[in-house]
Amino acid sequence: MSASYEQEITLEGDLHARPAGALAVAAGRFASAVSVTAGSHTVDAKSVLGVMGLGATSGQHLTVSAAGPDAREAVAALITILGEATKVGG
Amino acid sequence: MSPALVGIVLVSHSAELAQGAVHLAEQVSGGTVTIIAAGGTDDGDLGTSAAKVSRGLSLADSGAGVVVLPDMGSAVLTVRAVLDDYGDATGVLLVDAPFVEGAVAATVTAAAGGDVKAVAAAAEEARHVRKL
Repeated sequence: MSASYEQEITLEGDLHARPAGALAVAAGRFASAVSVTAGSHTVDAKSVLGVMGLGATSGQHLTVSAAGPDAREAVAALITILGEATKVGG
Repeated sequence: MSPALVGIVLVSHSAELAQGAVHLAEQVSGGTVTIIAAGGTDDGDLGTSAAKVSRGLSLADSGAGVVVLPDMGSAVLTVRAVLDDYGDATGVLLVDAPFVEGAVAATVTAAAGGDVKAVAAAAEEARHVRKL
């Protein structure tokens, strides 16, 4: 079953290189197409350079979207990573 | 047991540059991928070493293939010379990519379980990602 899901999150810290890497590694394990949107800028969540290029900072609202057979799981996993990896001091 | 991941070899004229790029790529990708620095000549000068590249290929290959990123110029010639003598080099891909960005992108894709072609493609796509 193919489906589309999306969920928003407000970052608690800046999206630096390591959290961007963790996000892209996790996204790459899903079959679904997964993207991250910050404002008017949408990138492939599987591209670490694209995710870093968002330049997303603390307090910014991001939307994670996925379309494909494991879209629901992909969105849930990436929202969790964004929540944990960008916590201040985390 | 998880399947073998694609390995990465970073070939630079500078030992420090290769080692620094390895460190950065390891940190960004979470440290699960084997990334080997092959930088500098055998006596520590600026340049590339066939022996270091050859050793790097052996260390990086865990059965899923290896992607090799050269920094520029004669690094490419050195890698090609090594591959000519490498025996079965079908699982080894030499890619034309920006060194730092390509190393990071390739390693992240390898960490996600991408095959050798996907890892090479991630490195090559780094050319088209704008920083500004």
